[in-house]
Amino acid sequence: MLMCRDLAVIASDYIEGDLPLTQRLSVRTHLMMCRHCRSFIANLRNSIELMKGHSDQRLDDHYARRLDEEIERALAAQRGCEK
Amino acid sequence: MPPTREHDDEQQLVLRLQAGEAAAYREAVRRYTPGMLAVARYYTDHSSAEDIVQECWTRVISAIASFEGRASLKTWLHRIVANQAKNSLRRSQREVQTDFSEALEPQLASRFRSDGRWSQPPQLSTRETAESLLENGALGDCLDKHLSQLPEAQRSALMLYEAHQRQSAEVCNILGVSASNLRVMLHRARQKIFLMVEHFQETGQC
Repeated sequence: MLMCRDLAVIASDYIEGDLPLTQRLSVRTHLMMCRHCRSFIANLRNSIELMKGHSDQRLDDHYARRLDEEIERALAAQRGCEK
Repeated sequence: MPPTREHDDEQQLVLRLQAGEAAAYREAVRRYTPGMLAVARYYTDHSSAEDIVQECWTRVISAIASFEGRASLKTWLHRIVANQAKNSLRRSQREVQTDFSEALEPQLASRFRSDGRWSQPPQLSTRETAESLLENGALGDCLDKHLSQLPEAQRSALMLYEAHQRQSAEVCNILGVSASNLRVMLHRARQKIFLMVEHFQETGQC
C-alpha cells in the first residue's frame, strides 16, 4: 500500500504525468483518502508554477554589451581574413 | 511537423548570423545568453560561466556556417557551451557536486512517522493559486532569495528545465545526467520552494 512518504517521493513524477498506470492509480486512490497529501500535491504544483515565473534570469546590460563588443571585434577580424 | 512561426523566425536569424550581420548577433545574444549561462553555471562559478559563454559566442561566428538545423539553434548553442564548460572543468580537475542519493529533502523527510504517514502534515491552504500567492510582492523577493541559495547544479538544472529547454531528454543530454538524476534534482528543488512558501505563509517571514 502506498504511504504518504512514498507519495512525497514520486510527487513530481505524478504531477508531470511520468508514472506508469498502476502507480498513477495508487496515487489517485491515496489522494482520495488523504487530505494532507492532497494539500502537498496542490502546493507542490504551486511551487512549480512559482518557479516557472522566476527562473528566467534577465541578462545583465553590462555583460550583454561586453559580448556585443567581443563579437563585433571577431566579426571584423573574420572579414579582414576573408579579404 | 509543420514549421512554426518560432521555427521560421529562427531560420531567418540563422541566415543573418551566417551572413555575419552584427545586429543579428545582438539579437541572438539577448535571446539565448540566459540559457547558455544556465548551462555553464551547472559546471562552474558565475564569473567563469560568463567567460565560457563569451568564448562560445566568438566560436559561434566560425561554426555557424556549418549549422544544419538538425537541432534547434538554442539546443545547438547549449551543446557548444556544455562541451566548452566540460573541457574547462576537466582542465581544472574539479567535479560537479551533486547529491542524487535521496529523493526527499531532509527537512521534509523528517516530517513522516516511521509507518510512512505524515507526523507534521503540510500547513498550506489548497485554495491559494501560484498567481494569488505572487500578489504578495514579499513572497516574490523571498522566492528569488531561495532560488539563488539552491546548490549551483540544482539551480542551473532547474532554470534550464523550467525556463529554457522544457524537454528533459535535452536537459539530460546537455548536462550529461541520467533522467532519474535530473528528476531527483528537480524534485528536491521544488520541495525546497514548497517548504519556503509554507514557512512564509505561516510566519510572514522569509
